[in-house]
Amino acid sequence: MAARAWCSGMADPLVVVLLRWTDARARIDPLSGEVESDPRGAGPSEADRCALEHGLRIAEAAGGRCVAVTLAPEEATELLRDALACGADAVLRVAVAPWDPRVPDSGAATARALATAIRAELGEPSLVLTGDHSADRGTGSTPAFLAAELDCAQALGLVRLSYADGELRALRRLDRGRRERLAIPLPAVCSVEPAGLRLRRASLPSTLAARTAAIPVVAGTVEAEPVTAHAARPLRPRAKELPAPREADPRLRLLRLTGAHEEREPPRVVVTDDPAEAADELLDYLRGKGYL
Amino acid sequence: MRERAGPASTAVIVDQPRRPDFDAIVVGAGPAGSAAALELARAGHSVALLERGPFPGAKNVYGGVVYGRVLDELIPRWYDEMPVQRWVTRRQTMVLDGERSMTVDFRSQNWGSAPYNGATTYRAEFDEWLAGHAQKAGAVLVPSTVATRLLRTESGRIVGVRTDRPDGDLTATVVIACDGVNSFLAKQAGLVPGDQAAHTTLGVKETLALPRKTIDERFGVSANEGVDIEMLGCTQGIPGGGFLYTNAETLSVGLVLGLRGLAESGRRPEEILAELKRHPSIQPLVRGAELVEYSAHLIPEGGYDTMPRLVGDGLLVAGDAAAMCLAAGIWLEGVNFALGSGMYAGRAAASALAAGDLAGLREYKRLLESSFVLADHKKLRKAPGLVLSERMQRRYPGLVCDLVEGMFTVENPRPKPGVRKLLRASAKRHGVTLRELARDALTGLRTFG
Repeated sequence: MAARAWCSGMADPLVVVLLRWTDARARIDPLSGEVESDPRGAGPSEADRCALEHGLRIAEAAGGRCVAVTLAPEEATELLRDALACGADAVLRVAVAPWDPRVPDSGAATARALATAIRAELGEPSLVLTGDHSADRGTGSTPAFLAAELDCAQALGLVRLSYADGELRALRRLDRGRRERLAIPLPAVCSVEPAGLRLRRASLPSTLAARTAAIPVVAGTVEAEPVTAHAARPLRPRAKELPAPREADPRLRLLRLTGAHEEREPPRVVVTDDPAEAADELLDYLRGKGYL
Repeated sequence: MRERAGPASTAVIVDQPRRPDFDAIVVGAGPAGSAAALELARAGHSVALLERGPFPGAKNVYGGVVYGRVLDELIPRWYDEMPVQRWVTRRQTMVLDGERSMTVDFRSQNWGSAPYNGATTYRAEFDEWLAGHAQKAGAVLVPSTVATRLLRTESGRIVGVRTDRPDGDLTATVVIACDGVNSFLAKQAGLVPGDQAAHTTLGVKETLALPRKTIDERFGVSANEGVDIEMLGCTQGIPGGGFLYTNAETLSVGLVLGLRGLAESGRRPEEILAELKRHPSIQPLVRGAELVEYSAHLIPEGGYDTMPRLVGDGLLVAGDAAAMCLAAGIWLEGVNFALGSGMYAGRAAASALAAGDLAGLREYKRLLESSFVLADHKKLRKAPGLVLSERMQRRYPGLVCDLVEGMFTVENPRPKPGVRKLLRASAKRHGVTLRELARDALTGLRTFG
C-alpha cells in the first residue's frame, strides 16, 4: 500500500509514545502462584525504550513533537521524567484510581482510556508508537485496540522504523527469519520489538531539568473490568488417562502407548503472500480437522 | 566515548566557575550521602545528590544492623517510620572451631521497644527512605549517574564533578564524596594513603528465605524481634569473621574475608560460606532455606589508622569512602558511622557555605573528633589488628573451644581439672605461649577497656 504523505493536513505532527510501567523482574511463588512485585525495579520494557527512541528520532526528522504517555500509578512518574530527560517534548500520565496492576492487561479498556486521554489532552496523533508488549507478558492487544479507537492503521512486530521523504517505512520480523518491508500509511499505531537501536543516554542538564519538571496527570476511566482472578494456584494439569494397551509384547505395548509407528498426515508448508489465499488455507485446515 | 569511573582516571582541570550549578554536590545516595544532603538542604543550600543506581540502595550489598542512636539527631522519632525488618533484641558472639562452638548470648527486651537499639533492614528500603527525606528537604536526587572525575582548578580547588552523562559536568562550591569503599574521587584528590588492599576485606552474603514462623522458632524470638550473631573462627584460617542476621522472612548469612588472605588461600568465598552453613551450630538455623540472593562487596576494615585525609580543598570524604567502618571484633558497625560522618560533613559544608569561606570545611574533622565517629575509631584503632591477627584468627578459637570442652566434659571418676591447668594445656596444644596470651589480653584490655 502506498504511504500517505507524512501528517497530511496536520500542521504540528504529534508522535505519541506509549510506555507501559511494568516490573520485568516480578517474582512468582511457584507454590502459591502469588506475584511479588517491587515498584522500585519497575519501568519501561526494552521494547518500550526502543519505541521512545524511534519516536524521538521520527519527531526530530519530521519537525514534530514527541510526547510520552503512560497509564500507570504515581510510582511511574520516574519513567516519565526519564522520557523527558531523553528529549520528549512533553509527558502525560493517565491515572486510574484506585490503581489495579491488572488494568493494563485489559487491552480494550486500556486503549479506550489512552485514546480518550490523548485526544482530550494532546489532539489527534500522527503516529503512536509502543513496544511489542507480548514479549513482556503484556497481552499485545492494546496497540490493535488503540488503532481501532483512533481509526488508523496498525503495524506490529517492527524491528526497524524510519522516516524519510515524507514516508514512514518499516521492517517487520516474520517467522523463520523472514523480513517484510512496509510503507505505513498515517496516522498509524506501530509496535516495535527491542531491536536495532537503544534509547539514548540523557544529558546531565536535561536530566536535572526533568527532576523538577511538573508531570501532568489526567484522570482516566477504565470502563471494562479487567480479568479478575478469584484464586491463584500453581499449574497442575490433570494426567491424561490412556486405556491400557491390549498387546502382551512389551515392545508392542510401548509402540501403542507412544503411537510411534502410527501413520500421520505429514506437515505441509504453505507459503503465500495473498491474505485471502492464506485465510482459505486456514479455513480448509480447520474444516479438515473438524473444527468448522 | 562514555565517561567511566576507574582507578586510572584523573581530575579534569577547569576554570573557576563563575556561578556554580549547586552549592554542594554529594556523590552517593547511601546513608552518608543522604545524611549530608539532608543537612545541607535543611540549611537552605542547593544540593545535588548523585546516585549511580536507578534508585538509592539499588546497588547496595548489605546484611547487617543499623544502630539508630545517631538517627535521633537526624530524624526525630525515626523508629516510627524507618523501614525495619526486625528489632535486634538478642546478640550472640560465637567462636567456632571444627565442629565445636562457644557462644555468648545476650538478650534484652529493652531493645525491643522505643527508642530501640538496632534493627535489621533491607538497604534498598532504608536508603530510599533516607534519600526521600533529603529530597523532601530540597535536595535534587540524580539517579543512574556516575561521578567519574573531579573537576578542579589550576590552583587545586575542587569545583565539581564530571559524570558519565553527555554534557555531564556539574559544578558546585563543595563536593562531598560518599562514593563508597574504593572511592575514586578521594583517590583522584590524593587523599587516600598507601596500600588499600591490605586493610580491605571482601564481604560475601547469602540471603536465605524462610517462613517468619520458622525464623521465630529457630532463633527464639517473637513478633518483630531479631537476632544478630557475630562469628569468629569460621573462615578456614583466612583473617575475617562471619555473621548471621534475621530479617522478617529471610536470613542474612555471610563472611568477611581479608583480601590478601583470601587470595593466598586459593579458596572461593562461596565454598567457605558453604562450609560455614554446614557447621553443626549453623546448619539447624539455615536448614531448608531457599537461597534468594548471593552478593559480595568490599569493606574498609582497617580502622582509624588507614583512613584517608577527610578534608581536601573544596572536598569532604564520608562514609565507606572515608573507611568509616568499625570492625572491632565484638563491634561490627558501619551504617551508624556512615550516617554520623555524612551528617557532620553536611553540617560543616553548610557552615562553610554560609560563612563564604571554604576554610570552614576543616570544621568537619573537629566535629567528627568530638563525636562518636572518630572518638570510637581512635579508641579502637588497635582492634582491627588484634582481631585479624594470626593468633586471634587461627589459634584462639581452638584454644577457647578446647578450654570450654575440658571444663564441661565430665570424666568421673577422675576429678575435675583446674581451669589454669586446662588453659595451659589448651594454649600449648595450639602453640600459644602464656606470654602471648597475656600480651594479647593486655592489648585487648587497652583497646576495649
